[in-house]
Amino acid sequence: MVDVRLNATINGRKVSRDAKPHLRLLDFLRDDLNLTGNKEGCGAGECGTCSVFVDGVLMKSCLMPVAKAQGAQIDTIESLAKSGELSVLQKAFHKAGASQCGYCIPGMVMAATAALRANPFADREEIKERLGGNICRCTGYQKIFDAVELARDVQNGRVPATALLETDTADGEVIGKNVRRIDAPSKVSGRLKYAGDMTMPGMLHVQVLRSPHAHARIVSIDTSAALAIAGVESVITSADVPGKDGFGVFVHDQPIMARGKVRYVGEAIAAVAAEDALTAKRAVAAIKVVYEQLAPVFDPDEAMLQGAPVVHDYAPDNITKHIPIRVGDVEAGFAESDLVIEESYSTQAIEHAYLEPEAGLAYVDHDDVVTVVSPSQNITHHRHMLARIIDKPISKVRFIMSPVGGGFGGKEDMIYQGMLALLAMKAMRPVRLVYTREESIISTAKRHPSRTTLRMGVMRDGRIKALAMRMVCDGGAYGLSTEGVMRKAAILAAGPYNIPNVRIDTYGIYTNNTPSGAFRSFGALQTQFATESQLDIIAERLGLDPFEIRRINAMRDGATTHTKQTLGSVSLMRALDAAEQASGWEAGAPTVRGGTRGDLGHDDVRPSVTLGTRFAATGTQEAAE
Amino acid sequence: MLICDEYLTPASLDEAFAAMERHRGRYRVVAGCTDTLPWAREGRAGDVEIPVLIDVTKIPELNERQIGDKRVRLGAATPIQRFLDDAALGRAMPAMPRCAVWFADDQIRAQATLGGNVVNASPAADATPCLEAHDAIVELASAKGSRSMPLREFITGPGKTQLAEDELVTGFECDALAGFGGSFEKVGHRRSLVISVVCLAVMVKLDRDGRTIEDTRLAIAGIRPVPRRLREIEDHLRGKRLTGELLEEAADMPLDLVQSRSRQEYRRDVVRGFLVRGLIAAAKRAGASPDALTQELEAAYG
Ligand SMILES: Cc1cc2nc3c(=O)[nH]c(=O)nc-3n(C[C@H](O)[C@H](O)[C@H](O)COP(=O)(O)OP(=O)(O)OC[C@H]3O[C@@H](n4cnc5c(N)ncnc54)[C@H](O)[C@@H]3O)c2cc1C
Repeated sequence: MVDVRLNATINGRKVSRDAKPHLRLLDFLRDDLNLTGNKEGCGAGECGTCSVFVDGVLMKSCLMPVAKAQGAQIDTIESLAKSGELSVLQKAFHKAGASQCGYCIPGMVMAATAALRANPFADREEIKERLGGNICRCTGYQKIFDAVELARDVQNGRVPATALLETDTADGEVIGKNVRRIDAPSKVSGRLKYAGDMTMPGMLHVQVLRSPHAHARIVSIDTSAALAIAGVESVITSADVPGKDGFGVFVHDQPIMARGKVRYVGEAIAAVAAEDALTAKRAVAAIKVVYEQLAPVFDPDEAMLQGAPVVHDYAPDNITKHIPIRVGDVEAGFAESDLVIEESYSTQAIEHAYLEPEAGLAYVDHDDVVTVVSPSQNITHHRHMLARIIDKPISKVRFIMSPVGGGFGGKEDMIYQGMLALLAMKAMRPVRLVYTREESIISTAKRHPSRTTLRMGVMRDGRIKALAMRMVCDGGAYGLSTEGVMRKAAILAAGPYNIPNVRIDTYGIYTNNTPSGAFRSFGALQTQFATESQLDIIAERLGLDPFEIRRINAMRDGATTHTKQTLGSVSLMRALDAAEQASGWEAGAPTVRGGTRGDLGHDDVRPSVTLGTRFAATGTQEAAE
Repeated sequence: MLICDEYLTPASLDEAFAAMERHRGRYRVVAGCTDTLPWAREGRAGDVEIPVLIDVTKIPELNERQIGDKRVRLGAATPIQRFLDDAALGRAMPAMPRCAVWFADDQIRAQATLGGNVVNASPAADATPCLEAHDAIVELASAKGSRSMPLREFITGPGKTQLAEDELVTGFECDALAGFGGSFEKVGHRRSLVISVVCLAVMVKLDRDGRTIEDTRLAIAGIRPVPRRLREIEDHLRGKRLTGELLEEAADMPLDLVQSRSRQEYRRDVVRGFLVRGLIAAAKRAGASPDALTQELEAAYG
């Protein structure tokens, strides 16, 4: 390898160093210079967490070989608050509550800085366009745009700098007040360390061998060639698990690494700890696995048929969980209804796409405490499971929760922490694993794909008499949160509506697909998508306003739910009123709208596909023509 | 992950050709790297080990820009962002700034090059239909000499070009179309960082009164293996009076443009809408008489 001798000015300081020729500028900044403020969210230019200035121009440092920075002036997020004083934009992000998980925020602050440099008077539309290369998954962007507008106005002297300060709170009074988040300065400055930003002396880098097959028996695993590579410290497989292998939120059906067979594409089979990530990658490529293919099953309805391939021996019918709910007599309810409608609905798998890919660091401390640092959404549960898996008393297992760069349920599962613990124990050195975006997508849980049949009986006046729903969800290869998701899906399936007769069945099914797990709303989305869609269809058939049919059936204070819970207060009516108002709703049955809808085309409704406000703003191109 | 043993940044064409000769069979040319780095990832090429990367962005010839009355010459390493920063270039290639604003995002287009976009030859590339509308000629050079050919011959299919192993694209020669109004219509799943489902470059030149179409250029991409110039529509429009009916007539010409494997019906609808919308926008920027096109037409296609 011929190193690149890089001479550059980085955050105002001259740097002259050798760098490996394959490094990207991002690697050089983060790994060689320990400037971890800018992040790696995707490695493919899609997310903007790595945005840095190169000679004053904002660029994505994950798409830039380090040699391109020769002679350049590089400014990272760390340059903006070098003296310790946050920039106006950073203060505005703090004030506006623009940072939530914070992982996108360094890049977002950089993009906002670039936007206001390009046009100090940019309006909100132009700000949106100029920030188009940076993705956020928490905020829905509005607070970010608020922050940029606030900073713009402070910079232009249109509002006083005091607008950046906390204004609303009297001493100690915070409830109901607009307070600034105390963790925001660490996020807007890039100083907060996520797991992938942390290092320890002597730390090894971990890479994982993953299954290319959906369902196969593992005949043999030969790690000798991997271990023979210089720089490789340890290799682990399921054979290295000292205790009782198996984790999961409800059933402990998932081994730390595939044991005996693989059940989905992307399942971990072995892991390597080496001096650097490249060596670990090469070692992973040198591991030889012999598989014997098994018939896979990818469709949950097929998995429920007699004779379907069995994913887990303990569940020969492939049912992870069935949740039934019975209230009243649905058949009688349908019989007395004026109108009975049956429809089918399906929803797809959805990736959480938190900006922070999974990462973790583990070590065995001086008192033999196995310690795992990771953005786990469930450390206490993980700690108990891991203690059993590595056969240690709970006092010798410690989980430290690092800042979670977005979770949305996707970081509830102990997908990789077990491998880290085992490698730290085997190597007796700190180990760190940082997922790539692709790895995160291929191996971690998704929202349950669902198929629902829903039958609803209603009276002409809109009152719902009966609801019968059957939902089959693809739970994928392992149980994870499936049981809880099926339960919540069933509990909330009939919505916040008074329905005297209810029959609900939700099924979570094992298949050889990527496991499904927790995801915001936890099953409610799938069933309520069906129920709410059906209400719109019924409103249309009955000539009712969709808001009206919901009000007619709405639970009120003191109502009893389908699972016999008494509700003290129900805010549904207020929520409906607010939604109706805010949406500029045009009252009436769905059938009254058409080419003449009155609730579209207002000033505050943007045209769907436009870009280029900057032309209007600067006028340069127009003038040129 | 793209792994190399050596990263070379030649400062001249001769140096580049010498490096290509020295490392024959072991190198890959890169420019902005915005196609190459994402390509070398899991799910696509995976980890790729290429002994030598040769970065051509520091070669002076590849960064040239000459604007004449008839032709514009642009070096292959021209970053897409230049079409937004350089007003004279925007005047000579009036659809290009509109294309650039839709291209990736504000950051990637500072790195992404015109040459990379053409050599990568994606059916959804955004700059290629613009170049096609300018009758671009691709200039190629190797240690042995140079040659050139029209863009439409150079790109032979998805990801396929006539580039020879030892060759570089040095630049593009394009028609200078100052005085035309330009527009670029694009749709994908979102606005930034999006692969075109359909994209269309339109340029229109009107007479002094802004009532008659003197000349027009249209090229479309995203819906077929390679970009396609829409000469039939150009011929239909040229010399005619600018009216809404004329534009709709042009959009309804039975050209059977959509050859995509997916979402054909959707794309056909989009193509029709884009043709009218693009022509309206380009005509307005070309100084269309205010009464030539009705408000209703604009609202319907806005
Ligand atoms: C997030 C993201 C969004 C994107 N959005 C868009 C978009 O909206 N529209 C669009 O069209 N594209 C888009 N792209 C694709 C890409 O940015 C463009 O195709 C870009 O123009 C490629 O240029 P480059 O210089 O970066 O290519 P490189 O990756 O450097 O090279 C691409 C190919 O061209 C070859 N090559 C480059 N220059 C030469 C030369 N002078 N001579 C010979 N061969 C050469 C290389 O060997 C390589 O095979 C996007 C990419 C990313 C990552």
